[in-house]
Amino acid sequence: MSAPQFELALRLPLASFALELELVSSARALGIFGASGAGKTSLLEVVAGWRRPERGHVRIGGVTLVDQAAGLELAPERRGAGYVPQDALLFPHLDVARNVRAGLPRHAGAEDEQHVREVLTMLELTHLEGRGVAGLSGGERQRVALARALAARPQFLLLDEPLGALDLPLRRRILPYLVRVRERFALATLFVSHDPTEVQALCDEVVVLADGRVRAQGCPGEVLRGFGSGAGGFENVLVGRVLASGEGAARLALEDGGELCVPAAGLAPGERAVVALGADEILVATEAPARISARNVLAARVEALAERAGGEVRLEARLADGQGARLAVTLTPGAVRELALAAGQRVFLVFKASSCRVLTVPRT
Amino acid sequence: MAAAASGDAWGVLVLTLQVAGAATLVAAPLGIALGYALARGRFPGKSVIETFVALPLVLPPTALGYLLLALFARHGPLGSATLGFDPGVLFTARAAVLASAVMALPLVARTARAAFEGVDPRLELMARTLGYSRLRAWCAVTLPLARRGLLAATVLGFGRALGEFGATVIVAGNIPGRTQTIALAIFSEIQLGNTAAALRLVGLTVALAFGLLWSVERLLRVRPERGR
Repeated sequence: MSAPQFELALRLPLASFALELELVSSARALGIFGASGAGKTSLLEVVAGWRRPERGHVRIGGVTLVDQAAGLELAPERRGAGYVPQDALLFPHLDVARNVRAGLPRHAGAEDEQHVREVLTMLELTHLEGRGVAGLSGGERQRVALARALAARPQFLLLDEPLGALDLPLRRRILPYLVRVRERFALATLFVSHDPTEVQALCDEVVVLADGRVRAQGCPGEVLRGFGSGAGGFENVLVGRVLASGEGAARLALEDGGELCVPAAGLAPGERAVVALGADEILVATEAPARISARNVLAARVEALAERAGGEVRLEARLADGQGARLAVTLTPGAVRELALAAGQRVFLVFKASSCRVLTVPRT
Repeated sequence: MAAAASGDAWGVLVLTLQVAGAATLVAAPLGIALGYALARGRFPGKSVIETFVALPLVLPPTALGYLLLALFARHGPLGSATLGFDPGVLFTARAAVLASAVMALPLVARTARAAFEGVDPRLELMARTLGYSRLRAWCAVTLPLARRGLLAATVLGFGRALGEFGATVIVAGNIPGRTQTIALAIFSEIQLGNTAAALRLVGLTVALAFGLLWSVERLLRVRPERGR
């Protein structure tokens, strides 16, 4: 087992309850999942040094940021945090270029400038550099805030619902940038969200927070199964490595087992890719269909069937004959009856490569 | 007798500007610091300090003048008998400056407080997260964002000092050429029946006040910030 990235044990009284948690995780990207008012933002503010816990300690990457028992409390400027709040919190009196460079050392050198240029290019912000922040769209503001955090070369990232203020189409457009940041910078990250899709796309592990307490912790795919698709709009988020790419399609080996054909979307062999797929875009067959145009015909084993609100049935099946990644499928009760579907049954999941949304921005 | 009562109008004006300027130099930094502490600070007794700072707004200026007089009287807490030397304040221009500064302080502090409250305190914290010290974050973020309100606070303080009468007359007297500011000069001219001279001074005062208020209006008028 690798060394813990996150060690948090703290108590922080809030207006209507106390944030009280003990948490150890080796994940590089740890999701903090929970409804509004669960204490997620307060937790990030403690880590950033914006709030002082009543007691406890906070260690990230082995560095102690707070240890009340030892009387240690690093000032915010010494913590090395890259913080992206939900409302971006850009400096209103500075233009985009100066916002992004706000965290550079006073005598920034050519190397710093090169780093800034790389960040601006990666987040596709170079054309906005001369603009004031007033006229930026929500997505642009979030990207500028992310660029500002990354430009300062943080030791770790705190992302507080960076997509929370955006509408669904925009969330889908911005999420790939976060995936790209995760891949490029490989920073320890605390990612706060109430969207299961985002958490699954970005995090190795998730903690569910409610009323200031940890209610569950584990692999996002497992822990967030009961939470629906969230505003991200996808029930299935799958992570894999590109095996091969060509002719507009790429073949992925999923981390949890199984293979998938997805749109190439600029993916290169060996690259990590995150793919989202709606539960209603998957067809179920009890026999392998022959001569079909869909690129994905995947053998799977039914794990569970559950009736949901609205009369539809949610089927969960694991690829690779029950050993691989889990996929959720939405069916009508009639289809379940007609196919006589039951737990443990072998089925084939059928869907087009184009139904898979690759949450990775093509490299520029 | 007009000239004898109040000196020449330009002399009075110059002295008034000097006294108000010096009072502003005292009241502005103190008022801005107080405004910041009241806007952002959380400390015991904050409401008491808030009320205390606002007192000169409601107290009769003469009452405040009397308190200052008692403070610097020979046997007062800051009097020559207590200190062992004469601080040389009473019935000098320094006393006029002190009285004006005390009267201007609440206006500066309250306007500065509003200016600081208009700046999201999290911006300062964000600057610190980006590596700024507390002071640098204040200078680089809070100060520029509050600057217009702070400038207005300073101008208002200056304006208040220009028109100060009640406290000044008690603590500094009404000595032409030494402590007689424009407000005191108008009083003297009216007392002596010099209507023309009084009107001339009133005209000057109106022009000054108009210029100041117009500046404050300009400063406070909401203009789209570059980045806002």
